[in-house]
Amino acid sequence: MNNVLTAIQNEARRILQEGIVDVVVGFEAGTLQLKAQPFFMHKADDVDKLVWNGFCQNNLATYLTRLDKQQRIGIICRGCDSRAVRTLVMEHQYDREKLYLIGVPCTGIVDWRAVQRQTGEDILSAEEIGDEIVIATPQKKWKFSRAEMLHDSCKRCAHPNPVGVDITIGELLPEGDPQQAFTRTREFELKSAEDRYAYFQVEAERCIRCYACREACPMCYCSECFVDYTTPRWAESMITPSGTQAWHIIRAFHQAGRCVSCGACERACPMDIKMTYLTDKLNRDMLDLYGFDVGENDDKQPPFAAFSLDDRDRFVK
Amino acid sequence: METRLLKKSQLLSFIAGLMEQQAVFAPVKNGDFTQFQQINQADELDLESTHNTRYPPKALFQPQSEPLFEFRDGKFVSLLGEIQPRIIFGIRPCDVHALQLLDTVFNAEGAQDPYWLAKREKTTIITLGCEQPCSTCFCTSVGGSPFDRRGSDLLLTNMGDYFAFEVVTERGNALVQSMPVAADGQANDVKDMQTKAEASFPKAFDPTGIRDKLYQLFSSNYWKKMQESCLGCGVCTYLCPTCFCFDIVDEKQRNQRVRNWDTCMFRVYSQEASGHNPRPTKLERTRQRIMHKYAYWLDNINEIGCTGCGRCVRYCPVNLDIRWMIQTAQNWVEA
Amino acid sequence: MEHNQNLYEPIPMRIARVIQETNDGTLKSFELVFENPQDKDQFYSNYNVGQFCQLSIFGKGEAPFGIANAAWEGDFVRFTVQKMGSFTQAIHKMKAGDAIGMRGPLGNGFPVDEWHGKNLVIIGGGCAFSTLYALTKHVLHPPIRPQYNEMHVIYGARTSGMCIYKEDIASWYGRDDLKIYQAIDCPEDGWCYYTGFVPVVTKQIAPSPVNAVAVLCGPPAMVKYTLPVLTELGFAPDQIFTSLEKRMKCGVGKCGRCNIGPKYVCKHGPVFSLAELQELPEEL
Repeated sequence: MNNVLTAIQNEARRILQEGIVDVVVGFEAGTLQLKAQPFFMHKADDVDKLVWNGFCQNNLATYLTRLDKQQRIGIICRGCDSRAVRTLVMEHQYDREKLYLIGVPCTGIVDWRAVQRQTGEDILSAEEIGDEIVIATPQKKWKFSRAEMLHDSCKRCAHPNPVGVDITIGELLPEGDPQQAFTRTREFELKSAEDRYAYFQVEAERCIRCYACREACPMCYCSECFVDYTTPRWAESMITPSGTQAWHIIRAFHQAGRCVSCGACERACPMDIKMTYLTDKLNRDMLDLYGFDVGENDDKQPPFAAFSLDDRDRFVK
Repeated sequence: METRLLKKSQLLSFIAGLMEQQAVFAPVKNGDFTQFQQINQADELDLESTHNTRYPPKALFQPQSEPLFEFRDGKFVSLLGEIQPRIIFGIRPCDVHALQLLDTVFNAEGAQDPYWLAKREKTTIITLGCEQPCSTCFCTSVGGSPFDRRGSDLLLTNMGDYFAFEVVTERGNALVQSMPVAADGQANDVKDMQTKAEASFPKAFDPTGIRDKLYQLFSSNYWKKMQESCLGCGVCTYLCPTCFCFDIVDEKQRNQRVRNWDTCMFRVYSQEASGHNPRPTKLERTRQRIMHKYAYWLDNINEIGCTGCGRCVRYCPVNLDIRWMIQTAQNWVEA
Repeated sequence: MEHNQNLYEPIPMRIARVIQETNDGTLKSFELVFENPQDKDQFYSNYNVGQFCQLSIFGKGEAPFGIANAAWEGDFVRFTVQKMGSFTQAIHKMKAGDAIGMRGPLGNGFPVDEWHGKNLVIIGGGCAFSTLYALTKHVLHPPIRPQYNEMHVIYGARTSGMCIYKEDIASWYGRDDLKIYQAIDCPEDGWCYYTGFVPVVTKQIAPSPVNAVAVLCGPPAMVKYTLPVLTELGFAPDQIFTSLEKRMKCGVGKCGRCNIGPKYVCKHGPVFSLAELQELPEEL
């Protein structure tokens, strides 16, 4: 990791010093254990604070739709981040010419909640050492297998390698079969409709409509989200099953063929709500019905963003 | 007022006794979560968690969604019903002091919010002081303390094999008449424990002069830096025990006019019908939130509008830490 | 029903009269009457020109509107509404006889008692003129007129068709207790008054700041460019007053939304002096 970090820093410094970009988006150390913060480097000196590790839990592509479109931006991308960038570029949200992507193959993001569930709250230090995560709490020292403590989405991830980047730093990792990302979806599908709905109800019940999931997601960038409409009223803003379930379902549909399964939504949620099971199902349908794997190349448009005359139309009788 | 004592082994029967008189709301564990809920059995109570609930107990007074009126036969009919007396047990001093701050908004002279007031009047507050901080606590940096009595009816200190119940109000006093009064020595032990605990709370920043400093920085680059990583979601404001902003909306399908929590972090919050938005970008909105808590509250009631509960620190999806923001403001030198 | 007990409960009102103010239909005045006499008494005992009300239509929510009449004009409450968003569109569809809710009077109103003996320079633009119209009508009331000195009213609209209160304003030209100056943006056949934007026209007219207060209401751009003109003419910040607009929900200083710094426009305002505004953060 250290060599990779140094190489990333060198590249980030280079593109700033040579004026290739105005800002580089990466991470710096967090103020809490097991966390890192998104970090914006405007000068070469800022790069000294750059970190790169398993605690970098945000999808940085989400900042692309928030920054001045005239700026030239460098972003450090993993597999999912780079696919999100690619999809955003395809949706004309940013000019690819103005981006410099530093790709880094990804060994997964550590789920801080999974760690805390084992150790309790008071974590004094957390380190990634080889395949392990070493934690110290006031009472004892803990060692966990890193692989077991990864976020769910990372455990299923088939695409750790960055795509469409300007430079790749670090060893490429074996790509998985896209279908493997949907193993959990298949298990879920086998349940009865009642069981599936019951699960959905329990998850959605905790929702406080803070929209952290929406803001953390790179693909949610509508200047007016459907939940803010009063005419027509798509979903009530009250905390009710009706309003909250509508929110989750409609957002999932808006992600079909666009979501990169990064799991940033679940990591952002303050109420630990599971949501990727919804978007994974829609993405699996995209794969099965349209042979579409999100972000696989620069040309293939997401199925719901484009049409061709020979599209399947079995729903038209 | 006196301090009374209760053996830990007798806690559950004490709670059961309270439950016979009134509804009791306490922290209840549900998976990874602790949440304030009405308990049906005394043993549902969870005081083991070393940190606070995620969802703030202000929801017990200002529910996240509260139907205000029903629209019936062309008239607005108030839905403020009769509030049953209730007890909140195990709430922390930071959250209790937050309720007092909110009182200055909802119970202001000449403009009293009846929905808030009705609940406040019927609630007894039994506070549990904190003998140790968690990594995100910073009450002592904002004028609070882990054994702050303000706003409580009774304040509990965990003394190991017993709880000390400090009586703060008559209402609290009425609940503990059957408990033995602490002897002087014991009362001193409690005081010592509290002093030690308070000393162990780390200082996150020095708030002296923060109001003036933030006003000075109003147009500076400080805000450009602070707002960079903010996602503009509502986690910090919704989990915050002192945030009170709300939206009023008509839900036609329910025939109700409802009040919902709102947040200054959303763009539409201040969006005007003409298209003009006084806070058009994340920068103005981030500035509003911080200045409200650490400057405007001070202007209005001379108190910081933050009680250091740490929820925003813990759950911010990008680890944008308000303690770091205030510290940075205090040290900021405009280039 | 004790409406004063619940801050959020609208008073039942009925629309008595709808007046088409402009030919293009975008501006209408609505005169509302009280269903309950005790609400009426309560309202007038608290009313101060410059205040506003939240009008309430179930299903469309509420929105703030300046009160456009003086208390002596009758037992009604007048509002002039510009068709803009979903609420104003809904109210524009309403007719005489329709029921509507109202909460008010809210806000601080103009500090008219502090202005006794002074010259009043009233400058308004567009439909923001409504509360200034109320102020003018208040002062023109014979028992009240002697409390003030000269009154100059400068009112600008985009076109002559967009002027509101046309008939009443036309009658002001014949009065000797006020001077009315009307302006429209661009020249028009048959227009014999001023032409030009309000800031420019104000500069032309050059009202004196001596023993005077200026009261300014209009669209943000108009206010922004007229303020420096007044300053140049010699008006001190505590001699200039304006009424601000903000998105509002509760209207009583609780929902938090309409703040500028520590002040709530609905509660500490909407009327502020320039001196007060200068102490507030720049967030209009």
